[in-house]
Amino acid sequence: MTTEIRVIEKQQGLGFGLAEILKWRELLLMLAQRQISSRYRQMLLGFFWAALEPLGQLVMLTLVFGFLLKVDTGGYPYPLYAFAGLTAWWLFTRNLMSVAGSLQENMGLISKVYFPRLILPLAATIKELFDITVMVAMLLIVAAIYGYFPGLRTLLILPLLIFAAVISLGLGLWLASFMVRFRDIRPMLNLGLQAGMYATPIVYSASLVPERFQFAYQLNPMYWVVELSRWALLDKPVQITAPFYWSLVFSLLLLASGLLVFAATEKMAVDVQ
Amino acid sequence: MSSNQSSVVVEGLSKRYLVPHRSESLSKMGKVAAHMREFFPFLSREDSDFFWALRDLSFEVKPGEILGILGHNGSGKSTLLKILSGVTQPSFGKAILRGKVGSLLEVGTGFHPDLTGRENVFMSGVLLGLKRQDIAAKFDEIVDFSGIEAFIDVPVKRYSSGMYVRLAYAVASMLSADILILDEVMAVGDAAFREKSKENIEKIANDGRTVLFVSHNARAVTSMCTTGMILEAGQCIYQGSAKDAVATYLRKVHHYDTDEALRNEAATFHDLDNAPRLLGGQKRVLRWVSTHRKDGTPSNRFNTGESLLVRIGYQGLKIPNPYFAVLIMNEFAERVATIHSTHHAGHIDWTESGVIECCIEDLRLGEGTYRIMLDFGIYGGSRMAVTSLDCVPNAAAIHIELSGFITGMGIDAYQGAVHKSAWRPLPYQELDIKSGN
Repeated sequence: MTTEIRVIEKQQGLGFGLAEILKWRELLLMLAQRQISSRYRQMLLGFFWAALEPLGQLVMLTLVFGFLLKVDTGGYPYPLYAFAGLTAWWLFTRNLMSVAGSLQENMGLISKVYFPRLILPLAATIKELFDITVMVAMLLIVAAIYGYFPGLRTLLILPLLIFAAVISLGLGLWLASFMVRFRDIRPMLNLGLQAGMYATPIVYSASLVPERFQFAYQLNPMYWVVELSRWALLDKPVQITAPFYWSLVFSLLLLASGLLVFAATEKMAVDVQ
Repeated sequence: MSSNQSSVVVEGLSKRYLVPHRSESLSKMGKVAAHMREFFPFLSREDSDFFWALRDLSFEVKPGEILGILGHNGSGKSTLLKILSGVTQPSFGKAILRGKVGSLLEVGTGFHPDLTGRENVFMSGVLLGLKRQDIAAKFDEIVDFSGIEAFIDVPVKRYSSGMYVRLAYAVASMLSADILILDEVMAVGDAAFREKSKENIEKIANDGRTVLFVSHNARAVTSMCTTGMILEAGQCIYQGSAKDAVATYLRKVHHYDTDEALRNEAATFHDLDNAPRLLGGQKRVLRWVSTHRKDGTPSNRFNTGESLLVRIGYQGLKIPNPYFAVLIMNEFAERVATIHSTHHAGHIDWTESGVIECCIEDLRLGEGTYRIMLDFGIYGGSRMAVTSLDCVPNAAAIHIELSGFITGMGIDAYQGAVHKSAWRPLPYQELDIKSGN
């Protein structure tokens, strides 16, 4: 019989902490499932709210930017134009908040039982991906109302959404441990997300941004997620430029560094709470 | 696993926490700097900024050993358990655990109020490191143990607290590990469960597995553990057999000097001016105490059934509604009698300083040595609560002998009150038993 030997000492060196996740995958799925089912059980109209919240925002955006300001979308119906961008952004925002807050919200578990902490942000991401399906379904309905019927290319929205989830996961992992220690991060994050929404072509057209800023503007990975979503759904032409590749590299670095930072800092979270 | 190899080896384990603004003499700038040090750990270098929850702790536990870890609040027990179960990491040193580790630091780990009992059983089990299919296999057993079949598909927020605890225990009881780490949460619950979990722990140890059990309950450690260890201020101050560890612990923590040379065998008068106080003792009211027989002769030896007079000298009694209390404790520091001045039916005329005598008639204590804890405080307020103001945990000791009150067989100092009883055989008649006549 081989005996499992565990050595407990102060962690040295860096690691992604992914190997242990495999061993604990049952817990990962159960935590994600628990978050999903406890949310929809709490609110009788869980699905209804998951749909109503973004729809409400869509109506407001349409009234202000589409109806009052008459933003030029290049001929696409404004509600659909905004909705196609909003879906990915919505996922990005929700996931970033969930991942960043995942340690803080589960302090009760963290301080009482051992399991790889990375499971918490991963479970949060799975839950947000699940939640967004309601919104995607609505997006397809709205598209159909305007005469844009989903084709094969529409399926591309799926990897695009996953990509948005990965970026926000990477960013959230950076913040999760610090969120426990510094309560000030949450309001800062809210502000940052609001700024991010205006730095991404969601409510307006990217062509409004002056040419000399375009390079920097397009370094934003969410720019590509939003623009490619519109291409997949509305057949809106998009030009792949150098910043596309840069933003891709940047996103992968963000995820890798997020994992490293999380693995190195989550240990201190339980000590400061 | 070879039996002579320790299953737990702890070497120089230390845990420190950063608490930078402990010194109160800091200037404003000093306080800002202290705050910065808390937020940015790398700025902190002074040793005074740290609180050491554990300092250079080393010990070994053999397979089959049930180690009781004793210590009062803040001694580092919980920190040690948290490190061994992997919840937090040590600052220095290391621990080697040979075998699968299971730890129970709370009741109902991972229970979520909105989920049903069934869902929570699975959730909690997986969190404790069990496989889903193992839980499924044992599910009926768990539900059976908890005795709440009818409510298993109801959200646990609708459970009574008793049902909640039973279900949580039931999940915990199926934890099988080579090294089991238990916090004293497991020592609560109803008597049947305690007995069951005690049996469970003994069975685990008999299988050659190891149990670490943290407690400040001396009785639990004596009855369950084979070896004991005392933690004080993050360091191990005693290690040995469970019995010796408990004796040492009671002496240290509850100020029980079993050293009878120090506590004069025949002493009946005890000066309390310098006696250790509980809770810091905001007031110094209790000055001395003496014990007497009913006729007033000083004594500390009594027979069961006799009367005991306790005289308490006090000063500075300037509050309305004061109370005095004589609390009698057995050798496990468990209280066996509570005698309060508020139990007295009539009015007591308190003077600011003086002597109050408490007469306890008909002592019902079994044979043994008992400690007298004296308490003084104030009662009243809207909820008629008592608030302790001055409490001496070990004010005096008395020795009790049964001395013919009952025959001395089959009762120990900690087996409850002594009662006279008469027993007689009845002629056996089946009809009479059924009718109750």
